Amino acid sequence: MENAGSARHYLTAREAGLVSCTTCGRVNPAKEKACLRCGATLASRDSQSLQKVWAWWVAGIITFIPANVYPMLKTATLGTETESTLLGGIVELLHHGSIGIAAIVFFASIIIPSSKFLAIAYLALGIGRPSRTTAHRRHQIYEAVEFVGRWSMIDVFVVAILTALVQLGSAASIHPGIAAVSFALSVAFTMLSAQSFDPRLIWDADKDHPR
Amino acid sequence: MTLPDLPDMDLIPTKRSPWRNLSLVWLVPILALLISMGVAWQSYNNKGTLITIVFKDAAGITPKDTTIRFRDVIIGAVEDVSFSKDMSHVEVSARIHKDVAATLSPETLFWVVRPEVSARGISGLSTVLSGVYIDAAWTPITASSSRAFEGLSETPLIRPGHEGTRIMIRSKNGSSLTPGAPVFFRGMEVGQLDTPRLSETGDSTDVEAFINAPFDKFLTTDSRFWNVSGFSVTLGPAGLNLNVASLGSLLTGGVAFENIVSGGSPVTDNTMFRLFEDETAARDSIFTQVSANSVTMSVVFSESVSGLASGAPVEFRGLRVGQVSSIGAFIVKNPSGSTVNMRALITIDPQSLGLDADAGKDTIRSFIEKLVTEGMRARLSTTSIFSSALKIELADVKDALPASVEDDADGTPIIPSVKSDLPDFTATAEGVLERVNKLPIEDVMNQAISLMASIEAIASAKGTQRAPDALLGLIEDARGLIGQDDTQAIPNELRGVIADLRSIVAELKDRGAVDQLSSALASFDKASADIAMASGDLPKLIEDLRAIATKVNDLKAEELIAAVTRVMDSTDALIGTEGAKSIPPALASALTEVQAALSDLRKGGAIENTNATLASARDAADAVAQAAKNFPDVTAQLDSVIAKADALVSSYGAKSTFNSETLDLLRELKTAAKSVSQLARAIERNPNSLILGR
Repeated sequence: MENAGSARHYLTAREAGLVSCTTCGRVNPAKEKACLRCGATLASRDSQSLQKVWAWWVAGIITFIPANVYPMLKTATLGTETESTLLGGIVELLHHGSIGIAAIVFFASIIIPSSKFLAIAYLALGIGRPSRTTAHRRHQIYEAVEFVGRWSMIDVFVVAILTALVQLGSAASIHPGIAAVSFALSVAFTMLSAQSFDPRLIWDADKDHPR
Repeated sequence: MTLPDLPDMDLIPTKRSPWRNLSLVWLVPILALLISMGVAWQSYNNKGTLITIVFKDAAGITPKDTTIRFRDVIIGAVEDVSFSKDMSHVEVSARIHKDVAATLSPETLFWVVRPEVSARGISGLSTVLSGVYIDAAWTPITASSSRAFEGLSETPLIRPGHEGTRIMIRSKNGSSLTPGAPVFFRGMEVGQLDTPRLSETGDSTDVEAFINAPFDKFLTTDSRFWNVSGFSVTLGPAGLNLNVASLGSLLTGGVAFENIVSGGSPVTDNTMFRLFEDETAARDSIFTQVSANSVTMSVVFSESVSGLASGAPVEFRGLRVGQVSSIGAFIVKNPSGSTVNMRALITIDPQSLGLDADAGKDTIRSFIEKLVTEGMRARLSTTSIFSSALKIELADVKDALPASVEDDADGTPIIPSVKSDLPDFTATAEGVLERVNKLPIEDVMNQAISLMASIEAIASAKGTQRAPDALLGLIEDARGLIGQDDTQAIPNELRGVIADLRSIVAELKDRGAVDQLSSALASFDKASADIAMASGDLPKLIEDLRAIATKVNDLKAEELIAAVTRVMDSTDALIGTEGAKSIPPALASALTEVQAALSDLRKGGAIENTNATLASARDAADAVAQAAKNFPDVTAQLDSVIAKADALVSSYGAKSTFNSETLDLLRELKTAAKSVSQLARAIERNPNSLILGR
């Protein structure tokens, strides 16, 4: 990992005639079809990785649209039902002066999912093409995407908890909107997309196009 | 580390068809896309049709929140509220469910439902919490394309889509008609009024009324509407009447209708009805609006028709069957000269006589003729005891002279008339007054006055004034009398009397008179028992007594009064006579004599003699006391007799007069016996009282 970003040549496992097991991490001889330790199927490169990444990514994008357009929460207070979308809720919070909370919601619900899409797209597009960013940097981005993925469900959790707690009959009740389901699906799809990405491809590209 | 030989790996992937290499994962985005598209399409489809409603103001309407309802079901929501171009109105854009929007007719009514408090109640209370909503009402049509509507500023009272009949009511005065006022049919609320408005000419008020189905089937062209606003008070022969339709109508007014005559055809929408002032006017209107098939007849009166006016009712056995249309005088020539008679033309409604509405003139005439032969005659009578207005009454007259219906010169049938019994009433009243007038009040007063005068004359007479002096003289005379020798001899005589008394008492004692009294009482006891036996005859006796009492009652009071009057007269005369006037002096002289006697009495030495008398009296008293000792026995016996008699009498029943009288008699007997015994005891204790009289 040292000298990240430099145009150094690395010896890859593939070049060394080895295949690492993605499950247990054992390095097996290239001719092996199954891991000698855990028996998992071995593949030097996941040939369908990019396909899967893009497929999940597209699904994530598709579900992210209704997540923003449709109401996230349906609040019924004394007979009047108000529906609030993600952005609408943030604007409302701003109007009420809760800038901090608005910022958090905006960051968690808009910025992070959007940047994840961008990051995954960037990584996927970078495969097999010359890239300005070094393989190291790109791997760090991948790690970050993987790490953030599990925290993206905060919105959905909030909706779920509110729905469960605020059920006061006709006085006040909260129901999840279509956007909540869409958002949850979107996050799931993005995580699957990130998961499908084979980070080893990053290094292949680097090797094919040394700089 | 040595590099191992490159294994035989396919480093360069074979150029396969991109479709064969396609991962199944692609199904996920496709599915997601489909679902998203589906959701999007659904929400677009549900968005509904955009319509615009123009309101004067948008009080309470908020975009997104305000709903549009039809029959209380939400059919859409307000999207936007904006101004019209000239800023004079508010345009409300709303999304209505597609299916519903397709049925909107161009006449659809939209109005804003707000909380409302009126005399008829509170409405729209639910909107206090939930905010206002827009209500809609229309008659559904198919394939509608109307998208712009005019909103109402107030809740419409009559909404399209309701089953019923819409009618117009014309009234002279609309002040008592308020929007939403109820329409009653036999006391039931069957509809309501809309807002009254002036007719185009401005001489009447028109109000649209809506009669709900199924009550509108009671509405016919013969229905009569009248005002039931507020309350009405009528004072008539039936007493005081207070009518209040309902509390609501008291505040908001209202109209009622009824089919006063049968017949009439069903009404269509917008039929015009006239509003009458009250029920009586509505009922009377049947006759004032003479139907085309009514028949004109005439009645001839030889007496005065003062009080009879055109329009006066014609009643047959108390039921109004027509009215007087005109009154006139005409000359009848007969052999003895010519007389002026009064003729009243009357119109008779065949329907109210129970004939068919289209009964011809001949039918009615023959009907009337039949009634006339049965004794029906026309006569005048008063409409009520409080008014002098007259009506023509077709009444059955007993012992009526035979008469028939004849035509007059114009060919109008004449209903024979009889002299009305109108003057009789007047005569009766006059008679009463006359009798009151004839009461001899003045005579009575005069007699009273003369009596007073006589009394005054006596009081003021000199003789009367001298009476006290005469009284003094009388006392002096009495004194003189006492002082006379003869008077003084009285005590001696008294002594002799007492001696005799003593001997009598002794004799009584010797002969056992007391025992005889006892036996007498015993026989009385037995007699009582006999009376009890004979009591069967008593009721008859009571009957006789009653008969006597009835006879006494039958004695004419007037005679008694006359006798009393005569007595009064003679008393008056007596008092007025000279003899009566000379009474006071005679009284005075009598008093003077008494006085002289008394003075004589005092002068004599009566007292000394008295003491001697007292001594012998005491002896006599002792003897009496001895005799009286047996008296308590007598009393006890009497008591028992009374008790028995009491029981006997009570068996006759408490209410009998005989009983009470018998009881009284017995009780008197008892008290008499007791008095005798008390007297005996008193004499025993104080023999002096025999002499001194105390």
